[in-house]
Amino acid sequence: MRSRTTVLIVIALLFATSASVANPGGEGDADRDYTCGGSCHGDPALSSPSDGIVTVSVDPLAFSGTAMAVHVTASGMSLSGNRLLGVFLLSSVSGNDDHPEDHGWNILQDPNGGTRNYVEIVVPPSGSVTLTWVMLAPEQSGIQTLFTEIHHGSNPNSNNWAYSAFTRGYVVDVQPVPENLPGFAFDWTPETRVTGDDSPTVIRTRNTTSVSVQWMLEGEWVPHDAEVTSEGDEWHAMLPATIGDTRIQYQVTTSNGDFSIVQPWLTVATEPAAFDGEIWGARMQALAFGLLVMAFLLSLQARLSPWEGRPEINHTEEVEAAETPPEPPGLESADDYWSRLIPSEDNPGWLWDPVEEEWVADPNNPPEGGE
Amino acid sequence: MFGAATFHAAMAEVVVGSMMLATLCAVGCAIATIFPNIAGGRLSSERVMVTMDKASIAGALLGLVFMPIAALSGSFAADNVVNNALLYNKFVYTGLAFGFWASFVIGRVRLGPGVWQHRSLSALQGATAAMAMLMTTMASSIGGKLVRGESLFDIMPIWLPSDSATVLNPILSAVLLLVGIAALVVVFRLGPRAERISLD
Repeated sequence: MRSRTTVLIVIALLFATSASVANPGGEGDADRDYTCGGSCHGDPALSSPSDGIVTVSVDPLAFSGTAMAVHVTASGMSLSGNRLLGVFLLSSVSGNDDHPEDHGWNILQDPNGGTRNYVEIVVPPSGSVTLTWVMLAPEQSGIQTLFTEIHHGSNPNSNNWAYSAFTRGYVVDVQPVPENLPGFAFDWTPETRVTGDDSPTVIRTRNTTSVSVQWMLEGEWVPHDAEVTSEGDEWHAMLPATIGDTRIQYQVTTSNGDFSIVQPWLTVATEPAAFDGEIWGARMQALAFGLLVMAFLLSLQARLSPWEGRPEINHTEEVEAAETPPEPPGLESADDYWSRLIPSEDNPGWLWDPVEEEWVADPNNPPEGGE
Repeated sequence: MFGAATFHAAMAEVVVGSMMLATLCAVGCAIATIFPNIAGGRLSSERVMVTMDKASIAGALLGLVFMPIAALSGSFAADNVVNNALLYNKFVYTGLAFGFWASFVIGRVRLGPGVWQHRSLSALQGATAAMAMLMTTMASSIGGKLVRGESLFDIMPIWLPSDSATVLNPILSAVLLLVGIAALVVVFRLGPRAERISLD
């Protein structure tokens, strides 16, 4: 009965492994084509339509080379246990050259602070999440189309399917930029700061004579003005250091007297401080700890083992003491007894015992007559 | 051909598998020595004890042989670059696991199978094997965290620190390394010589 139970438990454990699927922890932000280039998630046998709703908010008119924001809101998805959601921003859905940069766009910032067209995010318990890409419109004017796609897991997910949803194309009419319109420099991207770093944030512009910057913590409603200094087309905005998981957003207004353009909100991209360990240090530290543990445990083994000369097992004195039993109380040794006897001139051959108060025959000089 | 990461995964599986066998048997021996009447005395029967003892030393030896191969292949898989705390801790836990397993094997070889007849030594060997297994699983679980973003330790109540690393100055590490070597010399050369325990 017991062995049968054991076998059943082992079989149950083996079946439990099928709950595991490939890359359940995601693959990280990346530059990707539609459905990862038609791989796993594009296979109809491995995917299924998502039950989520995806909406896109984008200005249908943009000027070439100027910044614009694309807001993607996903909600109502059935998610896997880790609530991970992957979101694509695409310019076509052919399976290759789908990246917006392949069509002239320049991603200034993705929702995670990087410059990728595919990001992964953990959906909050509310089940809804809004992601914002800030991009520079193509320098070539014309009609552009933007698509978004999401994919995620599900719980339970017995078929190991990827669930995906795909939006219609959102048309953006890119117009030639008006003469002298102030904006970000084409080659500028927001820099990434290290946690705790409060050095000035550098902003590069074109056609701009003045810049103002406002910042606020994510979730705040009232922005604060930041101090800005200039060096030609390079501006330095003093933003507070990012600590922990807090995210700071900032908005730049570029002006030149003729125009004043309020740019989309950007996020201060923060990364942890660079790790200061190196491989030989790690190897040396590991080996040192290992040797110290060995030395400690081996000395402990020696201490506990019965080695020759160990004081605890040398019982010679105790054994010897046990072999010679102590004299019974009151019994004196012979030497003590004879030494206390006093010879007497009046009674030759006899010794006086002052303790017992009696005469004892002297064995070295027996009394005459053999008494 | 296959990459260093694939080879590392295979070697790590050999190490963890054989170490798991060694740990179960070592802990079984320790329990049988400390509680001889457990399971109706079947666990402490001579046949079971001899089997568990041999399995534990064989598993530990196999794991110990493959551990440097797994560590080196893992190092190559990471392009010999340690750029985060998880990876650094993987090295540190591997070193600790090596220390515990080496101590287990040396203790068993020096003292012989009679080590399981002494309650205190038996408890020490069992605890050493358990700690060694904990360090081994921590190192391998960090591998899972790095590659797949998750690990079985996520659902376990035990999770030793791994997200942040205590990075010692290399000079301090070198000093500790010398102290460790000196301590081992003292233990082997100047300390009391552990003798093989004769079986009753």
